[in-house]
Amino acid sequence: MAEAPRIQRVDEVRAQGRLAVVREFFRELIHLREQKWGNLWGYFFIAPAVIMYLIFEAWPILRGLFMAFSDYRWLVRETHGWKGFNGLDNWIEMFHDPTFWKSLGIAAKFTLMFMPTAFALALGTAVLISKVKNNFMAGFYRVVAYMPVVLPVSVAMLVWGKLYDVKFGYLNVLLQKLGVANPPNWLGSPKVALYSLVPPTIWLRFGEWTLLFLIGIYNINREVYEAAMVDGANGWQQFAYITVPLLKPVFTLVLVLGSGVISATVESMALFGGTNGGPGEAALTTGVYVYRTAFIHGDMRMGYAATMSLFLGIINMLITAVVFITMRTERA
Amino acid sequence: MTALARAIRRNLRPATLITNFLLILMCVVCLFPVFWAISSSLKEGIEIYRIPPTLLPEHPSLANYTWMFTRADMSRLPLNLWNSLKVTMGAVIIQCITATMAGFAFGRLEFRGRDLIFYLLIMLMFIPRAGGLMALYELMEFLHLRNSHLGLILLFPSAISVALFVMRQNFLSVPRELEEAAIVDGAGTWRIFLNIDLPFVRGGIAVVAIWEFIYVWGEYLITLTMLDFPELETVAIAVTKLRGWSSHFTSRIVTPYGTESAAYVVAMMPMILMFILLQKWFVRGLSEGILKM
Repeated sequence: MAEAPRIQRVDEVRAQGRLAVVREFFRELIHLREQKWGNLWGYFFIAPAVIMYLIFEAWPILRGLFMAFSDYRWLVRETHGWKGFNGLDNWIEMFHDPTFWKSLGIAAKFTLMFMPTAFALALGTAVLISKVKNNFMAGFYRVVAYMPVVLPVSVAMLVWGKLYDVKFGYLNVLLQKLGVANPPNWLGSPKVALYSLVPPTIWLRFGEWTLLFLIGIYNINREVYEAAMVDGANGWQQFAYITVPLLKPVFTLVLVLGSGVISATVESMALFGGTNGGPGEAALTTGVYVYRTAFIHGDMRMGYAATMSLFLGIINMLITAVVFITMRTERA
Repeated sequence: MTALARAIRRNLRPATLITNFLLILMCVVCLFPVFWAISSSLKEGIEIYRIPPTLLPEHPSLANYTWMFTRADMSRLPLNLWNSLKVTMGAVIIQCITATMAGFAFGRLEFRGRDLIFYLLIMLMFIPRAGGLMALYELMEFLHLRNSHLGLILLFPSAISVALFVMRQNFLSVPRELEEAAIVDGAGTWRIFLNIDLPFVRGGIAVVAIWEFIYVWGEYLITLTMLDFPELETVAIAVTKLRGWSSHFTSRIVTPYGTESAAYVVAMMPMILMFILLQKWFVRGLSEGILKM
């Protein structure tokens, strides 16, 4: 059990990005036979995790890739396995499917409303909490901000559904007290349904980002700020020239985590009580449409659903790549 | 000037006041939905149907909770809670064992192909999970693990990546001198794993357990897809099927409006209590797991 430096090498490669990992994978593969067998108990110790990972994670990923190129319908036996292969037909259908494009537009609109707001709120809250000198209060704020994150998504959405309720919910009472004459029917009107989805989602996720930002800010050396204060930098300048640049790696991480929201499947399904995507399908995000195609409608067209979800995955990968390139950090 | 007066003056500076005011506003917004659920769950009978609704219950009562737990003919909540507990505990135990063992091997042992396998696991995380849920449905049907809690208990801990990184990182920080001394004394791999390294990584195991608990307790989409029968449902699924008399007709169970809120509170409370009691482990999970990904 010696050779510490070799073990740390894996972390160095990981920090260099995805291409480095792929390159090292093949380098290891070529030089595999030159390695010593070493401690054979190693295989025993990794076996449970690796076997479970291969069966329940790796196989569905590979199977899903194949499924995206077949006309696989769960309830039609003839389309199972290799027989369903239909080349690019799914993709052609997808590009001509108005519901798909509409759902993608809804997902994009939702993400564009959600991401900047949640990002700004989380960063603002983190900066404010970092300014609190009193340890007890700072701890209290951290706990409250993070609490929604640990709640089950479905329950959190249902609680919001109760709050939104036109007759018995409190939100509209509050709005009327504040002077809004005709508060909207939040979950019942196609015009506002998608907007109603945004606040609960922010509420549910921004705490995690706040804490990630906060860990980043706490990790910035106090002396950097003190030096800046000696040089006469005001609060805003400290934020713009110290906090923001040094938080870049955390920004990257949060943007990547956040781009996963683009499908917003669970949120939408729980808040609107089903796979209809709310009134008039106004909140039918692509994730919900995929779920409906695969598990609810017709003869369960899993192949077509896999195609759409692969397309979504590729979009997500592109977004991630753009984030990494623009943020120019080493991690990928 | 006394220390107290200094402290008061510092806290009354305009910047501090604005900071605290904004943060308290944040707290109110964050807590209000949970507060509303608790408040509604304590309203008895007709008060819940009052228009406009009251902010606090006039006559707080636990009637909704007793209804949930005693009307076995109408409410499946105790069964759902038991299902949730079963699946969650099973997944947590398996995740802790597999992640600890694998973390030890990847962080501490030398064997042929170790780095190769590790790179492979990392590479698989890059590939988009197209049709993962559909393929999972097919796989679980093939293995006869659909509609079974065992299936879920095996499925959830398979997403090993975060837990593996946490455990590997923890094993890497065990002092090497201890192991070397033990090897001189003739200790084998198992002795080193159980007697020397394991006490050092207890914190890491706690982090893994807590994160898995939160994840499985709240998991919705996979659980919903894998279970067809109401008797098998976990709490996170069951609450979505409760509908008050007032709203939808598609429900399977009809319950008085206030009991829904009571069910939400019952489903949330284990998470909230656990979080408040164990918060330091959450921060460790974020800094050792997610930030290291």
